[in-house]
Amino acid sequence: MEESKKNSGQSLGIASLITAIITFVMAVIPCVGMLAIIPGIISIVLAAVGLSQAQRDDSPRGIIMAGLIIGVVATMISFSQFFVAGKFAKNLESDKWPEKIEDIVNDVQDNVIRDLEDANVNIKVEDGDDKVEINVGTGKSDRKKTLEELEGADTTKANVSISIGK
Amino acid sequence: MNNRKMGLSEPYPVINIALAGVIMLILIYSGIYSPDANSYPVACIHEKITGEECVSCGLSHSFSLILRGRIEEAYNWNSYGMRIFLFFAGQLIMRIFFTKIYINHPESGKQLIIYDIAGSSALFLAAFMPFLIYIFKFS
Repeated sequence: MEESKKNSGQSLGIASLITAIITFVMAVIPCVGMLAIIPGIISIVLAAVGLSQAQRDDSPRGIIMAGLIIGVVATMISFSQFFVAGKFAKNLESDKWPEKIEDIVNDVQDNVIRDLEDANVNIKVEDGDDKVEINVGTGKSDRKKTLEELEGADTTKANVSISIGK
Repeated sequence: MNNRKMGLSEPYPVINIALAGVIMLILIYSGIYSPDANSYPVACIHEKITGEECVSCGLSHSFSLILRGRIEEAYNWNSYGMRIFLFFAGQLIMRIFFTKIYINHPESGKQLIIYDIAGSSALFLAAFMPFLIYIFKFS
């Protein structure tokens, strides 16, 4: 009876210390650092219960205190991971937004230029009976097609004649 | 025999055995999941939140590849994978070794625990320093 009274809270202290050490290792790994808050809280609770038992029966508290301290530090590191992620996301957003806007503007510009290259533009100006109509068609795609056909054709057998006249 | 039983019931060997078990579980996890199948159940929460890879991304892959002897590929997945793996492997050996010494020489108990704490802390800092720098850079 005396023996068990002397060791009361020790098992909880050991459990708390083991959980705290695992939490500490987890907390410093950014991938799982945020998850470490759960075992961290468990280790603190175990240590708190163990400490109250040890205080009641006046048994040694070394391991329980070690579990509590490591648990608290590990939980704080784990909690700081939320701020790390938040700050990282903020930095990322502020860094990338100007680039994203620039990309969008460039895309729109490219699309407009591409559309205009093949566009047929009609301009009509009417002033009473006077009427002026301008039709402009670049037909770039047609010309490109013709050029591709010519490039594809076998030109070695073709008769080429050049005549220069005034 | 009685001495051994007494030693095993004390907190230090119990903690050592428990931690050795956890390290064994990590190694089994790395061994079971294949790096080629890419079916790891633990995803990076940091990456899910920020959308960017963190300094510890690819650590599971790296561990699995180290266990399979594909060291160069392991470095490509995570350049710090090897030092973390060596830390865990070293800790596993230390847990077994220190427990054995503690049981066989109970008189050296307190001194042994101090050496263990100092050595493990130094190893931890050496292995996890890049991660700590990464955390404190942003926090």
